[in-house]
Amino acid sequence: MALALEGSQALARTVALCRPQVVAAYPITPQTHIVEGIAKLVADGQLACEMVSVESEHSAASVALGAAAAGSRAYTASASQGILLMAEVLFDISGLRIPLVMTCANRALSGPLNIWNDQQDSMSMRDSGWIQLYCATNQEAVDTTVQAFRIAERCELPVMVCVDGFTLTHTLEPLELPSAEQVDAFLPAYTFRHGLDPSDPRSLGTLVGPEHFSEVRHAHHQAMMSAQTAIEQADADWADVVGRHCGGLVESRGDPEARLGILTLGSVLGTLEDAMDSDPELPRARFIKLRSFRPFPADALRKACEGLDHLIVLERALSPGAGGIVGPEVQTAVIEMAEPPRVHNYAAGLGGRDLSLDLYSRIVQAAVGAERPREFAIIDADPELLPESDR
Amino acid sequence: MNEQPLHHLDTLRARQPRFRGLESGHRACQGCGEALAARLTTEAAGPDVVVANATGCLEVFTTPWPQSAWRLPWIHSVFGNTAAVAAGMEAALKQQGRATQVLAFAGDGGTFDIGFQALSGMMERGHDVLFVCFDNEAYMNTGVQRSGSTPHAAMTTTSPPGELRMGKRHMKKDILSIIAAHHIPYAATASVAYPSDLRKKVRRAMDTEGASFLQIHSPCPLGWGHEGAKTIEVARLAVQTGLFPVIEMERGELIGTLPIREPRPVSDYLKLQNRFRHLFASEYRARKELEHLQAIANRNIERFELRGIGSEAYDTEGADTVHRGGDRWA
Amino acid sequence: MIQIPPGAFARPGTSLEFKTGTWRVERPVHQRRAAPCHSACPAGEDAQAYLAKVELGDMRGAWETVVAANPLPAITGRVCHHPCESACNRAQYDESITIHGVERFLGDEALRQGWSYPVPIPGAEAPRMAVVGSGPAGLAAAYHLLRGGCQVTLIEAMPAAGGTVRTAIPHYRLPPDVLEQELDHMLALPGLDFRLRTQLGRDVSLEELRADHEAVFLGPGRRKGREWSADFAVPGNLRTGLQLLEAWVAGGTLPEQPRSVAIVGGGNTAVDLARVLRREGVEQVHLISHQRIPAPGVPDDDAMRATYREVSQALEEGVTIHEHRGVRRLILRGERVVGMELVHMKKLEDAGGRLRRVAFEGTETVLHVDQVIPAIGQDVDGTGFESLVRRGYMEVEPWWGTVNGQSGIFSGGDARSDHGTVSEAVGDGRRAAAAMLRYRAGRQLEPGVPPEPIPYSDLNLSYFETAPASKEPVLPPEQRLGLEEIEGGLQANAVRHEAHRCLSCGDCLACDNCWTLCPDQSVLKTREVAADGSHYVFDYDYCKGCGICAHECPTGYIHMIPE
Ligand SMILES: Cc1cc2nc3c(=O)[nH]c(=O)nc-3n(C[C@H](O)[C@H](O)[C@H](O)COP(=O)(O)OP(=O)(O)OC[C@H]3O[C@@H](n4cnc5c(N)ncnc54)[C@H](O)[C@@H]3O)c2cc1C
Ligand SMILES: Cc1ncc(C[n+]2csc(CCOP(=O)(O)OP(=O)(O)O)c2C)c(N)n1
Ligand code: SF4
Ligand code: SF4
Ligand code: SF4
Ligand SMILES: [Mg+2]
Repeated sequence: MALALEGSQALARTVALCRPQVVAAYPITPQTHIVEGIAKLVADGQLACEMVSVESEHSAASVALGAAAAGSRAYTASASQGILLMAEVLFDISGLRIPLVMTCANRALSGPLNIWNDQQDSMSMRDSGWIQLYCATNQEAVDTTVQAFRIAERCELPVMVCVDGFTLTHTLEPLELPSAEQVDAFLPAYTFRHGLDPSDPRSLGTLVGPEHFSEVRHAHHQAMMSAQTAIEQADADWADVVGRHCGGLVESRGDPEARLGILTLGSVLGTLEDAMDSDPELPRARFIKLRSFRPFPADALRKACEGLDHLIVLERALSPGAGGIVGPEVQTAVIEMAEPPRVHNYAAGLGGRDLSLDLYSRIVQAAVGAERPREFAIIDADPELLPESDR
Repeated sequence: MNEQPLHHLDTLRARQPRFRGLESGHRACQGCGEALAARLTTEAAGPDVVVANATGCLEVFTTPWPQSAWRLPWIHSVFGNTAAVAAGMEAALKQQGRATQVLAFAGDGGTFDIGFQALSGMMERGHDVLFVCFDNEAYMNTGVQRSGSTPHAAMTTTSPPGELRMGKRHMKKDILSIIAAHHIPYAATASVAYPSDLRKKVRRAMDTEGASFLQIHSPCPLGWGHEGAKTIEVARLAVQTGLFPVIEMERGELIGTLPIREPRPVSDYLKLQNRFRHLFASEYRARKELEHLQAIANRNIERFELRGIGSEAYDTEGADTVHRGGDRWA
Repeated sequence: MIQIPPGAFARPGTSLEFKTGTWRVERPVHQRRAAPCHSACPAGEDAQAYLAKVELGDMRGAWETVVAANPLPAITGRVCHHPCESACNRAQYDESITIHGVERFLGDEALRQGWSYPVPIPGAEAPRMAVVGSGPAGLAAAYHLLRGGCQVTLIEAMPAAGGTVRTAIPHYRLPPDVLEQELDHMLALPGLDFRLRTQLGRDVSLEELRADHEAVFLGPGRRKGREWSADFAVPGNLRTGLQLLEAWVAGGTLPEQPRSVAIVGGGNTAVDLARVLRREGVEQVHLISHQRIPAPGVPDDDAMRATYREVSQALEEGVTIHEHRGVRRLILRGERVVGMELVHMKKLEDAGGRLRRVAFEGTETVLHVDQVIPAIGQDVDGTGFESLVRRGYMEVEPWWGTVNGQSGIFSGGDARSDHGTVSEAVGDGRRAAAAMLRYRAGRQLEPGVPPEPIPYSDLNLSYFETAPASKEPVLPPEQRLGLEEIEGGLQANAVRHEAHRCLSCGDCLACDNCWTLCPDQSVLKTREVAADGSHYVFDYDYCKGCGICAHECPTGYIHMIPE
């Protein structure tokens, strides 16, 4: 049954369907509506769960960590500064191999203060050892959230479900919510093999010296790499239940014959698709939706890029002083191909800047026909607004 | 050397008539008060607990992988989040309907300073957690830097005495008053020099529903500069001088103290420790700081009415009387 | 090879793989050290050890511990001057333990309960030993020889056993039934051939004794009144103090009824006689002593030889004591003494470092009395073994009691110049018995050393509480008229209270302190008794040698020794 729901409300109800026993969160725009929604469900007795309204995101992540370690399914959500404040704990959660799910309602980072959407926050956690799945639509956000719990618990790794702030979280879209039976059929009860248990009292979070540290990291890396299978499997299994899938690791859309590819993460895809569809004169493009940024699905990506001459990587974050964040990784992956596409890397839509329909033609024009890949650029920046020295 | 045969000791160890929460083989310094405090705490708390432990000496010396000295489920996450991790465990256990009790362990740094916010939040939300602060009055694990708990005038590596300074310029944070302001059901201080009192307080805190707090004065021979053998003596003197008041609070109200039978001059305590050595130089500012510390002790005695009224079984002299057969009162 | 699990968690208690014992530079060891009460007891009783048993409620075990050294605790518990209590560490804390009260209680309890001495029955081929004199020295020697598995021939010149204890100690201090019972109890031991009215030198010769026995102990005491060697006239018919006292003890009467008497001397005889005279209604009893009234702080060599307790009770009973006083001359009316001239005097070190009595010119006073009684001491009656007696004493090796220049002949008790108490006599008999056993076994007698007592400063007193000592009831002076015993005994609860007060100096109290305070869980507790007699074992695999246990051991039982 299709419902018209705000993204955040849909996510709140989806999380509830996954029966978390402990939810810990701290308010921050644009994540707030999600946890408010969960709090209400708890308050109304519709979800048996300890809702811990902590005093900081550092504690939100920590409460979730403690709860998961003590044998309960746990969930948290945050954005932007909250993600940064959690950073210390996020690394620890993944290093301890604790299964957790959190939603990152993507938002720009201070300073200067900006509460609107981009993906600098989750990108800054790129190396935290968390699985990161990006959602293009609220439907995907709903479905990915259910899948995320199964992936996390199978792989003993935490999963961050990245949902664009406002663009998705605050937008009413018709979508399907799974039924409780569907979720229960898909998601077994929470287990954590090496949790805290007085009858088998393990010590978690030990001090690991140089003689063993590389191996610990190696194991973590391997687990992340293997998680690719689990991600694809979860998507496929979920499709069996609900008849929808989210595109596994990487999804190709648009014109399969096109020699031009555009790679995106998150909801910007819809804007670009609309733009291409709105004007048949425009060059056709193959859209490559990178759903799993971590683990980075290099093989799947190369397959998706076969036959491309140009590949535009359009990001909503950057690494100042270097350029894109995703772009160089994609470049590294495709360079292994027999006929690799030329990779062009742009950022756009930072801090909530509207992605206008002409963005499509601007990036395509900039890329196609260029002798050499153009330098990285924030393509929708207006130099007029800057003093000469900063242009 | 007449070593005892090992198999005999193994069985003997396994048959000790107390719960061994903290096992031998940990790597604390010789005479570490924190190790002793943790041993006493865990044996009073018993096996049906889970522990969250902040970064610090206790965490490092107990769990160098692949070894762990703990015999209870234990987790270390990071330095400042212990109370929150404990809160999460408590929330989980509550949801699971399990009676397992939750403990949080932190040094003074992990309590007074970096872990304070999480602690305050945990207490405010009333999680059924006993937070134990092993107060050794500095950041020991990183090599003895001053903390909010370091006493006034003490020398640490970041509060060295010199031409312009006489050790730490600031006062020891009155953490218990801050804790008291949270209106939690039970908060207390204890000392490794009074093990019966300490164990009683652990049990009492565990029996209390809601957040409870225990600050255990735990001398650090390395950081304080005293012989490892004198850990208990130093701890005892801290109490007997009034510099470390041993008190109990319910809902922020003082409900009990360990009365001092005969207050000792603070110099008896200070002179055993290298961190106060500069206070014994023959110069005006040294004399002044000594008097300052004496005044702080006097004020503690006044404020908590620590002065006993004669000999009592439960006072600084009577509280740890031993008996043949070892039947301590707690 | 160990494999790293996800997140590198660790298994419980695996730190045991890491032997922190290698860090140690010093190790704690249990070391029992003699308690001061033990070191100070002339009889060799280990009060600490029996107090521990009393505290556990094992009264019989406690008594057996006492009689491992002294077979006569009901007697010594009453008459000993208890140097154990003066030495007791607890005296520096609050008050010493009333050790003699506990000892007396145990002695009496053994008689009440009829506990038998833990002494084996000697076989027919057991070695034979001879003991001369059934005073405390002889009795102790005989007893310890029996304990050592010998048969013993004990000869006594008098018609009853007990020596001076029987003949001279007044009944109000030592009731005759107590004396009788304890002596009978001991003398009933199998293997003892006790012959009364058998005097060495009259009924049997030393050579005969030596021929029939492997070794001989001589405990003749000092029973021959000393001549009053004064440079003034002394009437020939003066009765000595001991003669008068023994007559009174035996018959309960005195030959004369003077109004005022001066007794010269400061020993037991002088003081007991003074008290007897007061009981017999003599109005003025003066005691003239070169020394001072014994009291804490008065050096031993300047104190009267009678014990503090005796002297102070005498004072309570109205005896006048003239300290630091000597007799210049007797004032005679015909043959009758009517007074004496006294002079202040004191012992001073001379140029050669020897103590000498110095009289101070111009301090003379006159004291008028009806009677003067010298109580200046006795000598050994060496009839039959004259060659062994020098200047009235037996000269012996101080520890084992070997008579100088002899082999197989041992002596002790009052017979030696430096001893004059029951407990010293018992100790001498005990050590001599050990010497005789060694002598027989052909073993060398290495010079013995009394155990070094553990000083007060080696205890950790933070773990004790002050508590007043239990004191026995004492008859008020006005009621001390007849033969009734002046000092009562302690009740059982008071005895246990004293045992509980004992600091257990140098011996494990099983207080659990070491077990409680070891940060490294390296003190393990046993139900059984560990090899060293305690209930605790150090696990040197993990003990880091911090020394907390040693520092906090209340009793000083733990020592740190270098690795
Ligand atoms: C009045 C008085 C009060 C005293 N009060 C105390 C007191 O309160 N506390 C205390 O500790 N001490 C006291 N003493 C001292 C104590 O009595 C003696 O130190 C103790 O008895 C010495 O014991 P002994 O065995 O060496 O000698 P004795 O007790 O004198 O015993 C010697 C025995 O040997 C026998 N004997 C001697 N020669 C021969 C021989 N040739 N053949 C066979 N037998 C022989 C004697 O008959 C006698 O029985 C007191 C002494 C006196 C005189
Ligand atoms: C966020 C963070 N900052 C700093 C540190 C470094 N650090 C580790 S332990 C510690 C001091 C611990 O002091 P305290 O809590 O008093 O415990 P102690 O070691 O004295 O027992 C510090 C500063 C850290 N681990 N994490
Ligand atoms: S530095 Fe101090 S607190 Fe740390 S292990 Fe050593 S003694 Fe214990
Ligand atoms: S306290 Fe006990 S062991 Fe110590 S000297 Fe006194 S009686 Fe002996
Ligand atoms: S501390 Fe107590 S139990 Fe340990 S050795 Fe000393 S007396 Fe015995
Ligand atoms: Mg500290």
